[in-house]
Amino acid sequence: MTWETVIGLETHVQLRTRSKMFCGCSTAFGAPPNTQVCPVCLGLPGALPVANGAAIGLAVRGALALGCTVHPRSIFARKNYFYPDLPKGYQISQFDQPLATNGTLSFLSPERGVVNATIVRLHIEEDAGKSIHDRFAKATAVDLNRSGVPLIEIVGGPDLRSPAEARAYLQTLKQLLEYIGISDCDMEKGSLRVDANVSIRRAGETALNTRTEVKNINAFSFVEKALSVERDRQIALVESGGSVTQQTMLYDSKENTVRPQRSKEESHDYRYFPEPDLPPLVLSPEFVAEQQSELPELPAAKRDRFVASYALSREHATVVTSNRAVAEYYEGVVRAGAEPQAAANWVMTEALADAKDHQEQLRVTPDALAKIVALVKGGTLSNQAAKRVFAEVAAKGGDPRTIAESLGVIQVADTNVVAGWVTDVLGAHASEVGRYKNGETKLMSFFVGQVMRASKGKADPKLAQRVLEEKLAS
Amino acid sequence: MSVSRDDVLRIAQLAELDVDDEALPELAEQMSRIIDYVAQLSAVPANGGPRVFVPGPDAIRFRPDDVNPAPLASGPAEFAPAFKEGFFVVPKLGQFE
Amino acid sequence: MSDAKAVADRLAKAKRLNALLTPLKDLRKSLAAQSAAARPTGVLYGMPVVAKDNICTLEFTTSCGSRILEGYRSPYDATAIAKLKAAGALIAGKTNCDEFAMGSSTEHSAYGRVLHPLDKARVPGGSSGGSAALVAAGAVPAALGSETGGSVRQPASFCGVVGIKPTYGRVSRYGLVAFGSSLDQIGVFGRSVHDAARVLSVISGRDPRDATCEDRDPLRLPTVPESLQGFVVGLPREYFPPELDPAVRRACERAIRLMKEQGAAVREVSLPHTAYAVPTYYVIAPAEASSNLARFDGVRYGPRFNGSADVRALYRSTRGQGFGPEVRRRILVGTYVLSSGYYDAYYRRAQQMRALIAQDFRNVFDRGVDLLFTPTTPTPAFKAGEKLGDPISMYLSDIFTVTANLAGLPAMSIPIGRVKGLPIGGQFIGQAFLEDEMLEAAYALERVVPAEDEAS
Repeated sequence: MTWETVIGLETHVQLRTRSKMFCGCSTAFGAPPNTQVCPVCLGLPGALPVANGAAIGLAVRGALALGCTVHPRSIFARKNYFYPDLPKGYQISQFDQPLATNGTLSFLSPERGVVNATIVRLHIEEDAGKSIHDRFAKATAVDLNRSGVPLIEIVGGPDLRSPAEARAYLQTLKQLLEYIGISDCDMEKGSLRVDANVSIRRAGETALNTRTEVKNINAFSFVEKALSVERDRQIALVESGGSVTQQTMLYDSKENTVRPQRSKEESHDYRYFPEPDLPPLVLSPEFVAEQQSELPELPAAKRDRFVASYALSREHATVVTSNRAVAEYYEGVVRAGAEPQAAANWVMTEALADAKDHQEQLRVTPDALAKIVALVKGGTLSNQAAKRVFAEVAAKGGDPRTIAESLGVIQVADTNVVAGWVTDVLGAHASEVGRYKNGETKLMSFFVGQVMRASKGKADPKLAQRVLEEKLAS
Repeated sequence: MSVSRDDVLRIAQLAELDVDDEALPELAEQMSRIIDYVAQLSAVPANGGPRVFVPGPDAIRFRPDDVNPAPLASGPAEFAPAFKEGFFVVPKLGQFE
Repeated sequence: MSDAKAVADRLAKAKRLNALLTPLKDLRKSLAAQSAAARPTGVLYGMPVVAKDNICTLEFTTSCGSRILEGYRSPYDATAIAKLKAAGALIAGKTNCDEFAMGSSTEHSAYGRVLHPLDKARVPGGSSGGSAALVAAGAVPAALGSETGGSVRQPASFCGVVGIKPTYGRVSRYGLVAFGSSLDQIGVFGRSVHDAARVLSVISGRDPRDATCEDRDPLRLPTVPESLQGFVVGLPREYFPPELDPAVRRACERAIRLMKEQGAAVREVSLPHTAYAVPTYYVIAPAEASSNLARFDGVRYGPRFNGSADVRALYRSTRGQGFGPEVRRRILVGTYVLSSGYYDAYYRRAQQMRALIAQDFRNVFDRGVDLLFTPTTPTPAFKAGEKLGDPISMYLSDIFTVTANLAGLPAMSIPIGRVKGLPIGGQFIGQAFLEDEMLEAAYALERVVPAEDEAS
């Protein structure tokens, strides 16, 4: 029996605004509890919501980047339920007239090439506060700083076929949203949250079976694990004669298990109705056009352009466009004159490695890196010497050539000078010369090594080899 | 009766309202009367009927993204029934997550 | 300009009405402080205004006539209150009302009923009964109330004072504890049209804190017109049904005659969907209320009603005990009509009916009618206890007032006579944002109508 897994992801993404969705409180992370609050986000009697235009703009950008249809008129709705960190007893969200529908997220599945996953809808809503269950004995602590922070909910269709695909989809979505700058997409900080809908069916079936919702996936690394565990649970259940019931499963990362959310009165009747405190959300064509113009070149387009314009492999282009900062850095290096392939190699190795150790800072300027690349290309620096120069420039700045000179690593490419060393070396190793001339051509590397020693590493090894070959041929 | 005692209990649960067992029959009866009364509205044609009407502005006016909180003369510590170490405190959810 | 002590004394004299929730001791102290701080250049300088207890004030408590907010001190002022203060007015206390503004008699307050100033066996109307009674008793010149289905106009009619409901979106709702968000407006009571209109003008105008408040300048007060020449007043036949109390009918006919004598043209019109207004209202208002009152859960403010074992028990006991029976009933009805399977049949239908009701008004106003005139209430003030047995009979006393809330139109009641000694009001319904025309007609009628006399 081969089973097929069907997964759809719902992601909640916090938008990068200074103030909350419906009030002027700050959204800054990490403030002492209940200090970034006001009558509105506290749900005090008489308070009213007022919509943040920047949040709406960012939401529209997200929708456009996902190729969605952005609806010029959408309606906010109340989702009614009781929970301690939901101050009004309802969440302002969108229901049957959302901001956007019908988009696509193309990603590379580890199993079947490019997948065009559907984005069913994208809508705007406000976040709830935070409930902390382990601070006080027998009580829950509630912090409403997060209450009212702007969110977009992105609902993906049941298009994913494995936990690994779910991971790839999420990675691609995260990259896209970071690229367009609408969110930090940090799962640790909670600015990106994911819930998954999971069901199984026999291979070849087209209908969808009962699905469960998996929640509490709090880190990227848990995505594949949680979904694998749930899939396996469903398969085991069905194979033993049982059937999957629709329920919410919570992932436990410590045990790597899922368990049903125990809510006896789990009534999902949210009694949605249009939010009477907010008029319709009407977007002018100018507003939408403005959001479109604020979109940078998207990752897929950038990657394809790099492949075409810079003759990079798709793999290299993918690494170099993995985030916008790196992509723009790379192009800066190329525009400063570096040969594209060499530039890509340098960025992928030295620059990214250095950044990793220095809070993602690309410490060597594009100009400087381009100069280093040119120095290597022109034979002035060996690769090894160039790495030393890179490290110096990264730490202290400065002009690469000047630094190379002060380090004394400028390669000598003067044929006469090199010829002098060659003569000395050949003179000092007559027997090896004899053996070489008798056919032991592998001694060439020995001679090159000796020339490098004699020159204290400064000789251009390629030039040295040429001169050696000339002299030994005669 | 259009609203049964079970209906009342179910609705009361959704609304997180305790309903006295004694009060239940009368409440069901009153609610039934009210629901029957408002059911006159079925005279309106369904789907394809007129659009809905809500008074007020036609479209949302956007608020600028400024950190400018509405004033609070006193913090939550002043009006919260239970407040400790900066947090609102509520009894645990018990058997619920 | 009244001095603080005199204000408090006048309110003390009206104590028996149970209209003021603020203890006199607290009131005296606060008035002294407010007097000292009041802006002398303000257009309402020194005017004492009481506010219905569902309007948030920094001074005094805001309990909305309920136990669930007993003792609650709002940490912010409603915009309307802030505007009154900026104009130099004194906030002279909070008035008793039906709990969360749900009721038509002020018998549903957790703090006892309010007495009608002229007959203590009768109700002053509701839900803003406390505000109406204090103005009628001469304790204050003006008061703020709130309207969702007539809660300013109906008590104004019962108590013999002027009561104005502005166009929806004319006055900010920020700080008005929400009942039916798409219906609510803060309204004003006054001894005269002028007193009420002055206060309305001050509290009106744009507010960035309320997205449903229109971006307009404050209401500009019209001058008293010389005549009603050029005014076309419509009389909707559905508001003068055959079974209308003959004494109420006579009072209205007298008022109409007086308007004609001042040059108004009068025309019979029809608002065909009027019969559906009360059921429409009693779907929409409870539905919105059931959601608006969800925030009262004992978590962040107000008392808790049980040292509870878990949070759901906290919700259920707080809400079960903190809310009175009328509020509980409306929350349950509202939850029911929004619940899965019923939304289309009730809530959506009601919003569609609302569109038809609003269209009725537009049709009439588009055909050259400037305003409408009707009785405000089908009867004068009824006896306390008379309508408590059957919720629907209570709802029917709103029959002439709910339409203006449903359509979002401005409306007002002015005293037009007496029926067996009890006041009765006549209602104007105006066009959206044309309060000035409505006020002009009201001024003109007020100066000639013998409001203290039986209509014969």
